[in-house]
Amino acid sequence: MKNLSMIFFLFVPIIFLWHPSWLGILDIQPYWPLFWLLPWSMISGSINGLISGLFLGLILDSITLDGIFTQIPGLVICGFWFGKIKIHRDTFVGHFRYGLICSIGSFLCGTLFILQIFLKNVSDRNFLMFIPSIQNILAEVFLTGLFAPLICSQLLRIFQSSRRKI
Amino acid sequence: MLNVRLISNSRWWHKKKNWILFAIFLFLFFVRISKGSIYKDFYYFVSKPFWPGKFQKEIIVESLEKEYFIKLHLLKKDNVRLRETLNLQESYSDTISAAVISRKTGSWWRQIILNKGSKAGVKIGSSVIGPGGLLGRINSTTSYTSTVRLLTSPESKVGVWVDRIQRNGLLIGSADNYPNLILYSKDADIKVGDFVSSSPASTLLPPNLPIGIVESVVEPFKAKKMAKILLLAKPNAIDWVQILKEK
Repeated sequence: MKNLSMIFFLFVPIIFLWHPSWLGILDIQPYWPLFWLLPWSMISGSINGLISGLFLGLILDSITLDGIFTQIPGLVICGFWFGKIKIHRDTFVGHFRYGLICSIGSFLCGTLFILQIFLKNVSDRNFLMFIPSIQNILAEVFLTGLFAPLICSQLLRIFQSSRRKI
Repeated sequence: MLNVRLISNSRWWHKKKNWILFAIFLFLFFVRISKGSIYKDFYYFVSKPFWPGKFQKEIIVESLEKEYFIKLHLLKKDNVRLRETLNLQESYSDTISAAVISRKTGSWWRQIILNKGSKAGVKIGSSVIGPGGLLGRINSTTSYTSTVRLLTSPESKVGVWVDRIQRNGLLIGSADNYPNLILYSKDADIKVGDFVSSSPASTLLPPNLPIGIVESVVEPFKAKKMAKILLLAKPNAIDWVQILKEK
């Protein structure tokens, strides 16, 4: 399980950098790290989820420029929260749950990120001009919710089957 | 009775020649009403083979290009001399071509990664231009790559110049495709369509790099005037860029 999940873990920053524009809306992408973090945390629990969120945040912060703004708080909270979620017996309902959970997670991460931008610019009263960037959150929430049922359920299945083999 | 018949045969409408004259008159009347459009169109087709041909156009364009090139060269020389006199930052002298290997032009993280790094002589802070104008500045380098912070990034702040009103301003990225221009004057007469370039007084950027045009102007707020800028260079569509080597 660990080997496979680690391979997929390595793909997260690659796809984050790749930024396939044909998958996006308004040049905005789904929030890729959540697709890995949700199945991993659901299987491994809250503490492992929290640690994975921290590691993911560190990697993604290192490959993006804006050193002042960090993705760690959002990913840590999501990792911890995802660990509390149990796998649903009904696979059909489960698919839609992944979509909803990832959308909420993406909203949380986006809101925490924009709050950092607001806080940084509150001193020179320029923060109001960042309001149009809320469209980033909305597009990201929609796309993450759209792709999550497909990707998360497949990853969860792969992680579970590799765990059984071990 | 016979006499009557002879008279009727000699009426004017019985003569073909008269009808022809009448037709010519009608035609000319039509020409007069249409202000000679038929003649003009006819002249268009007749004179077409004798127009100034493609060859002649090429000669003129080539001469114009040479003229502009010489003028540009003279202006550049003048610019350098005046900048030296005024002790202003000098323009760029050399460029490094680089390909875009990763681009994040949406959402919060607005950056592009180039395939040239410190080994190729890329330095942090160098300006990056693409077709259209300025894209951003180099923010970090590795041996083989360099990362460009785009003008749309929320972390980007550069000094710009609005030529028409002869004022300096600050261009701040706001995580959307239209960065904000802030002019620290309520009375600045900025209008939609004004051209924005890098500031001649800037210490970070080479002077007079085209950046964008004013797309909309926001109402003045507390001694500031803000405007949204439409960037001329489109990072989401550019595959090759030029990194400016400063002197």
